[in-house]
Amino acid sequence: MSEIAEAVLADGSKLQYVVTSNPPRGGMKYTYFAPDKSYVVQFFNDPKMGQDAKMRDRIAAIIGKYNPTVSEENGGAMGNTEQLAEYFADKYCWPTGIVVSPEFGIVSPAYPPKFFFDANSSLVSGLDLRGRDKKSNWFTSRNRKYLDPRELGNFMLMLKVCISLARSIRRMHAAGLAHSDLSNNNVLIDPKTGSCVVIDIDSLVVPELYPPEVAGTRGYIAPEVLATMEYPYGDPRRSLPCIETDLHSLAVLIYEFLLTRHPLNGPKHFPGMSAEEEDQRLMGSDAVFIEDPNDTSNRPDDLKVTIHDLGPYLEELFIRAFVDGLHSPKLRPTAMDWERGLLRTWDLLYPCDDPQCKAKMFVMYDADHPVCPFCGKKVSASEIVKFRLKKELRGKRGQWMQYGELVVYNNMPLFPWHVYSNIFADEKASREMQAYVVKQNGRWLLINQRIKGLRSASGDLIPPGKALLLRNNESFLLSDMPNGNLVETVMIP
Amino acid sequence: MSDYIRRLPVYLLIDCSGSMHGEKIEAVKQGIRTLVSELKGDPQALETAYISVITFASAARQEAPLTELMLFREPELKASGATMFGRAVEVLIDCMNTEIRHSTQTQKGDWRPLVFILTDGSPSDAEDFKVNASRLKAMKAANIVACAAGADAKTEYLKMLTDNVLMMNSLTAGDFAQFFAWVSGSVRMTSKSIEAKPGELMLPPPPHGFQIVP
Repeated sequence: MSEIAEAVLADGSKLQYVVTSNPPRGGMKYTYFAPDKSYVVQFFNDPKMGQDAKMRDRIAAIIGKYNPTVSEENGGAMGNTEQLAEYFADKYCWPTGIVVSPEFGIVSPAYPPKFFFDANSSLVSGLDLRGRDKKSNWFTSRNRKYLDPRELGNFMLMLKVCISLARSIRRMHAAGLAHSDLSNNNVLIDPKTGSCVVIDIDSLVVPELYPPEVAGTRGYIAPEVLATMEYPYGDPRRSLPCIETDLHSLAVLIYEFLLTRHPLNGPKHFPGMSAEEEDQRLMGSDAVFIEDPNDTSNRPDDLKVTIHDLGPYLEELFIRAFVDGLHSPKLRPTAMDWERGLLRTWDLLYPCDDPQCKAKMFVMYDADHPVCPFCGKKVSASEIVKFRLKKELRGKRGQWMQYGELVVYNNMPLFPWHVYSNIFADEKASREMQAYVVKQNGRWLLINQRIKGLRSASGDLIPPGKALLLRNNESFLLSDMPNGNLVETVMIP
Repeated sequence: MSDYIRRLPVYLLIDCSGSMHGEKIEAVKQGIRTLVSELKGDPQALETAYISVITFASAARQEAPLTELMLFREPELKASGATMFGRAVEVLIDCMNTEIRHSTQTQKGDWRPLVFILTDGSPSDAEDFKVNASRLKAMKAANIVACAAGADAKTEYLKMLTDNVLMMNSLTAGDFAQFFAWVSGSVRMTSKSIEAKPGELMLPPPPHGFQIVP
């Protein structure tokens, strides 16, 4: 029932695709695959949309001047280098071409194979997942139980997924673009490798230039958009998808990834109301965060792991997103706030002692009561070691200010952003390990791999290949080069 | 752990009268199998969709109660006898009255059920049909899509049930497959268009070769 057809692109080149009788269909478009599945060709459900000049204009801009996956030199986003383009190339499924014949459509790369399930992904007979997309709610809903545990990753890998997503959205927002339909359907994740890819880029909103075409997907639409859907399009009271509504969807996704539940889905209900009407209220005008500290009307009585267990940075961000900013879009944390908070949380990760623990790692936010919140196991180590990262105040030699904290564990790596205060762990940073910490015969050692100017507390140079013995309350220079951090070692018994 | 997932009840009302015998009923069986397998591949549908099959021939009965996809076993369908369509609508009303959940402190109410009706003829119990059809329509409790399979299906009866009436012109196995693929697309949740109104049913465009009966 399938035949090969040919699409003519805007630049005159031709591409083949396989026409099938029941192509996968989304809210706006349907999809045909290339004979070798390396790219997809998509057409609009409503062919009128493709004839709209503004729509064509929008897609051309998305493929060209707004495209972070192509360097500026090759016609992509302004300021984009070859290296950055390469970094972002597998973070989005960014459209690559416009189809002009047989009708208006777009060409996008197929997502990498890791975002499809294989024959071993399903744990149960009667559920064949081969070739299905790894939509994120496979991993964050009850459906988890059907998946092979190897597909599920662990808490650290889910944190990595969140960082990758926050970074991708931050990059789009930095260019002034709103995705406008971030959801479980449009973010595919591979917890096994801690990666994610943002798809359905073509509904991007450029403020003032290209208005939104979709309201979003249930569960991810910002409350103000839902609450004002009754007003006609163009009515000033109507809230439409924009960067701030993306920030709601982003926070929902991060919450789901880390806690495998929806932040607004609790016991609150309105007796006598239809499900549709009730849902409109519970996700819209009457939405209440299930962990709202002041309003417990939507709090389930059996919450085990809470935002408090995710450490101070994420707890604060979730409060800003779902308490302060739930109905006040301007107060929502930005994607950059999330990226920073997630990275600082990463530095607090600590391995769980219980080999059976599925989370494997947890956020060590309280060294006086070190318990894994996921399995309840208490840490058995004789002491918890922390590095207080301090940077030198500008223009004030010898005056240091603490700006970060690192929980230390056996075999923990140190990266450039730990060594130098002017390096941020973003897409531009080198990911080359600088040093690592080991515990040997009850002693903690920092093994220098490639840091220039690592000095002991007494000022002795520790060259690469040599170890520094860590002692409680001693401070040492991670590097005596410009912007090198001072570290105070703290051991909590 | 409390369960705050809303179910999406999906009722399939299938004509199993004598005229459906042979290739057609086999295509329907295959269609249901594909539908279930397609929905299982979508995490949202797998979590929320519950399926029930009601058949009508010389009698009408619920072959499979509302069942989650992972536990659903497709019923053994056989085609013979008359078309007690009116009785089937009554069975549907009874099933919905007993099976549909409403919101409470510990459980979310079900989404508005989706009802897909497939028939290739007209009711043998026309008077019963009219009574039950107007009862069902008055309940406003479900989103109903009716598909007239072939020229012998009387769309004027289907119009009494719902404004969403589709017409399948030819009756090859491929047409039935397309119908069930379209049902699968209607059940899966997609992005809401900016023009969508709260609670409104959004159906994908009908498959190629199908017509919307105005």
